[in-house]
Amino acid sequence: MALSEFQLFRPKTIQSAVALLAQHKGDIQVLAGGTDLLPSMRQKLFAPKYVLDIRGVEELKRIRVLAGGGLEIGALVTLSQIEDSEFIRRNYPVLRKAAMTIASPILRNMGTIGGNICLDTRCLWYNQSYAWRTSCGFCIKKDGSLCHVAPGGSKCWAVFSGDTPPALLCLGAEIEIAGPGGTRRIALADLYTGLGDTRLKIAKDEMLTRVFIRESMSGYRGAYQKLRVRGSIDYPLAGVAVIVKSSGRHAPVQDAKVAITAVNPSPMLVVGADHALIGRAVDEHIATVVGELAARTAKPLTTSALTPEYRREMIKVFAKRAVLEAAAG
Amino acid sequence: MQKEFSIIGKPVALVDAAQKTTGLGKYTDDLSLPGMLVGKILHSPYPHARIRKIDLTRARAVQGVVAIVTGQDAPTSYGILPIGHDEHALVVDKVRYVGDNIACVAATTEAAAENALELIDVEYELLPAWFDPEDSMKAESNLIHENKPHNIEKEYHHVFGDPERGLAEADYVAEARYMANEVTHAAMEPHSTLASFEFDPQTGKQGRLTVWSSTQVPYYLQHKLSLVLDMPMSQIRVIKPLVGGGFGGKSEVIPLEIIAAVAARAAKTPVKITYTREEVFWAHRGRPRTIIDLKTGVKNDGRITAVRARVVQDGGGYCSYGPVTILYSGALLGALYDIPNVQYDGYRVLTNKPACGAMRGHGTVNVRFAFESQLDEICAHLKLDAAAVRRKNLLKPPCVTVNGLRVLSYGLPECIEKVANASQWPVRRGRLGRGRGIGMACSHYVSGAANSIIKSDMPHSTVNIKIDRDGGVVVYTGASEIGQGSDTMTAQIVAEVLGCSMKRVKVIAADTDLTPIDLGSYSSRVTLMSGNAAQRAAEDVRKKIEQAAAKKLNCSQEELVFRGDLIWRRGAELENTGEQLRAQGRIEGQILRESVLQERKEQDARDHLSFEEAVVAAIDFSGTLTGTGSYAPPADARGGKFKGAGVGPSPAYSYSAQVAEVSVDEETGQVTVHKIWAAHDCGRALNPVAVEGQVVGSVWMGLGQALQEEMIWKDGLLMNPGLLEYRSPSSVESPEIETFIVESVDPEGPFGAKEAGEGSLAATIPAIANAIYDAVGIRLREAPFTPERVLAALRAQKSQKKVNMTEGVDPERPVSFREHGGSLCFRGKGPTRHPLDPAVREQSKAEQPSPVGGDD
Repeated sequence: MALSEFQLFRPKTIQSAVALLAQHKGDIQVLAGGTDLLPSMRQKLFAPKYVLDIRGVEELKRIRVLAGGGLEIGALVTLSQIEDSEFIRRNYPVLRKAAMTIASPILRNMGTIGGNICLDTRCLWYNQSYAWRTSCGFCIKKDGSLCHVAPGGSKCWAVFSGDTPPALLCLGAEIEIAGPGGTRRIALADLYTGLGDTRLKIAKDEMLTRVFIRESMSGYRGAYQKLRVRGSIDYPLAGVAVIVKSSGRHAPVQDAKVAITAVNPSPMLVVGADHALIGRAVDEHIATVVGELAARTAKPLTTSALTPEYRREMIKVFAKRAVLEAAAG
Repeated sequence: MQKEFSIIGKPVALVDAAQKTTGLGKYTDDLSLPGMLVGKILHSPYPHARIRKIDLTRARAVQGVVAIVTGQDAPTSYGILPIGHDEHALVVDKVRYVGDNIACVAATTEAAAENALELIDVEYELLPAWFDPEDSMKAESNLIHENKPHNIEKEYHHVFGDPERGLAEADYVAEARYMANEVTHAAMEPHSTLASFEFDPQTGKQGRLTVWSSTQVPYYLQHKLSLVLDMPMSQIRVIKPLVGGGFGGKSEVIPLEIIAAVAARAAKTPVKITYTREEVFWAHRGRPRTIIDLKTGVKNDGRITAVRARVVQDGGGYCSYGPVTILYSGALLGALYDIPNVQYDGYRVLTNKPACGAMRGHGTVNVRFAFESQLDEICAHLKLDAAAVRRKNLLKPPCVTVNGLRVLSYGLPECIEKVANASQWPVRRGRLGRGRGIGMACSHYVSGAANSIIKSDMPHSTVNIKIDRDGGVVVYTGASEIGQGSDTMTAQIVAEVLGCSMKRVKVIAADTDLTPIDLGSYSSRVTLMSGNAAQRAAEDVRKKIEQAAAKKLNCSQEELVFRGDLIWRRGAELENTGEQLRAQGRIEGQILRESVLQERKEQDARDHLSFEEAVVAAIDFSGTLTGTGSYAPPADARGGKFKGAGVGPSPAYSYSAQVAEVSVDEETGQVTVHKIWAAHDCGRALNPVAVEGQVVGSVWMGLGQALQEEMIWKDGLLMNPGLLEYRSPSSVESPEIETFIVESVDPEGPFGAKEAGEGSLAATIPAIANAIYDAVGIRLREAPFTPERVLAALRAQKSQKKVNMTEGVDPERPVSFREHGGSLCFRGKGPTRHPLDPAVREQSKAEQPSPVGGDD
């Protein structure tokens, strides 16, 4: 499968990158690690006239502890860098645990945090070659008007499959988006549309530049549990991130957050999970309750080769386990 | 033969290891020729359709397109079996699976070729398609091949002994249906072929054809190219560069191999085609989905009285090796143990899916899964020990099995002993606590087929050796190195016989212009057959060296010893080792320096010669120094006379026993394999490290089929045509595998060697199934044992709230195929596709009975 022809830009600064985005709005695709974009381009899921390789923008490759506390992570920081960061391990363990589960070591050396946050949604009926999709019939997400997952529906259910965003949602991360008019900062939770095709609330001439985590979110214990068939390589079939703050293992929980991924078109905070946990010592029963809440938030459909029923069951189990793991520290 | 070997039996690095690991070695796709074009194939989007018209006008206009070929450019049918010539390089009348080959564009760039593919206008007449083999067997119309009634490619009905009486005499009869879903080889190297015609200098027309291809069978490829291109075999040269794994997926002629040649002929310039991973899945030839209805009768002490099996294989759209697969399933069913009465009914059925073919453990694997599982069930029912029951049913070689297979060596008892001891079987089985368990299973396999697929009297393997005055030994063999160690094995055997070092030996393999005919690398035939031929060729050339050496050393030929690059008279004391002799400057074989000649003349009668000296003497004495050897299986190993008796017989059989230790996560259904003990009887381990590698590789591949690997279909469309969703195990979940080599020294094998590359695979799947039973008491009769199947069975066991995780099918009691193996769940009718969708067309033709399988 050949890459179709495109013109490659390699800007060195955010300003020139954004200028190119604005100039070729709609015809241009941002390339960070390339681990997801290039296979998709070979499958003709994207056929941009221009590719914006931002890997030359050095200022986006840093993890920086901010003077006033908190952390800034450049969009081009690789997943391996996250994994190797002592500061993140000590202060935001849930992020490291999530990053460590992504794909394989080689892919983590290339894949970036920005790419993981903006990862294209995935579906068994979408991530296929052009010939395959021709044979099957094109779907809402690309070139067609059908949905093979929810026949008759008009909504795209392609599933968000990033591992780090649920961890970042728990940590209340904010992101910086650069555009022709300068930068804006929004909560990560506000980035996602909840739909498989539109995915991100980010304009065609904008790009994600930085991630911020507040200092007040450090010191939470965290866990990330991921359903996969293989111990490596696989995208999550369901994933649960949990953070818990308490003074000790059996002490009542002071604060907690639970988020899930790979079972909806976007990563989701589990509503009510904090209420279930705060003020109580974590035990099997409470963890099970959180599991039920997570399963209520999850809407797995036939977007992957494990049955939705199984994945919904597993969200319960993995949420329970993640709560217990996080509480145990 | 010397008592102690100097080369064989010692672990050596494979002769091509360095070029592969450093990237210097060339695989087919690494090759390039001036003016070479890229070939891209247009594949069918429909599972079953007649082609009304192909219009190439728009595609031809694409810049960079040089030639487009269709079925009319090569209308001769072919197939790997003489009885199954049902394929065309490019289809001529209809397509039979999604992915069938319609046209090929040869263009200057891949992008141009792909663009042109989209502009080929094909008019189809859609036909009802068949996806479920048991439905397909009932077909009356819309047959996949008109000459195959009920879409049955082949059926065989074998009765040995008196199964009726055997079952009547049994104290207990177990009966169940087993299913194994479809798997594929997933070799790392996708298929690739480069074809180039020379121009005849006399006529200026296209002359000889050279094809470089990723093949396990260069000779069969040469044969089929000759047939389809209508050229004499002598005008076709097939060269096999390095091959990145075959596992059976390259053991027959794959469409691209002929398409590349047809395209090169039309384009008048070389054409290379390399499959995408998706195309590899469409070319397939993997292990078919199999339904096994199995009945086993036993006495109370575990002695087996009879076995009855009905096997249905979902063979896909073409014959391929199908009849051989279905025959192996029967022939090997009753030949591992001493079973007096066997009935076998095998059906190879056509369906509208990619053709299945030969895959590692060809034919035996799925049936072995069923049998070894059922044996475990019987042990559980009768409260017998699984190892003891297997010991009770051993063959007593030398013998001939009930279905006519000659067994001379039989290391199975020792294999069972080894794994039972190492795993502490007697004290650990059933005693590891809930959630953890161990299971045992055995398997066996042929060391090459005693009867070749093309009936003839020709030897199955031939080897030539040339030794020149430089002391270099060049071995010419048609055997195909595909990563399994064929070249290394050949070099080892020749070096052992000639008593020379391995580095003297250069193996030239698998080039039909240079190397003599060999049937290729499949059915684990190379070590035994090509190894025997190499040994004979080496002995032949050694005789010529002996004659000259005996004269020089004034002794009889029988007294000579060849070892360590020296030749001496038995009994003579050797003062110098080979290394020291070399240091004295005695290695120049071609032209000896004056000073050395002088020195030699001054020496007294000598008691030894260096290898070069002996070689030079032999060439001076007899002219060229060459040797030849060939191997044909002996008549008494070729099996019985009944219909289908040709498949199964082998000169020798390998044996394997395994114990797997697993734990089962009862909340998730995930199975973790902690360790596998695998003992394999390979006759003699010529290269122990290569044998271990083959056993580990087999176990690992079995692990994939047991737990993760499964081709998932929807209306004939493969849902997971890539290595991301077709999940071969990664290193993370690969368990520790402890191997034990058992050497039964078979009289038929070279130095006693038998096969090592396939036999272990089949034991792994039932060993894991039996271990899961030991761990949590569920009996999984449908492979692979994916987490959802395991969890569904666990929930059923505990009568918990029913959650429909496997489309309502109990993995302990599979009834019929679900088209997608239960892994895709649709509510209602499932997805609606575009207007030409076969499902839509089905609805609009409501008057016709719907033959489409599946359950949605």
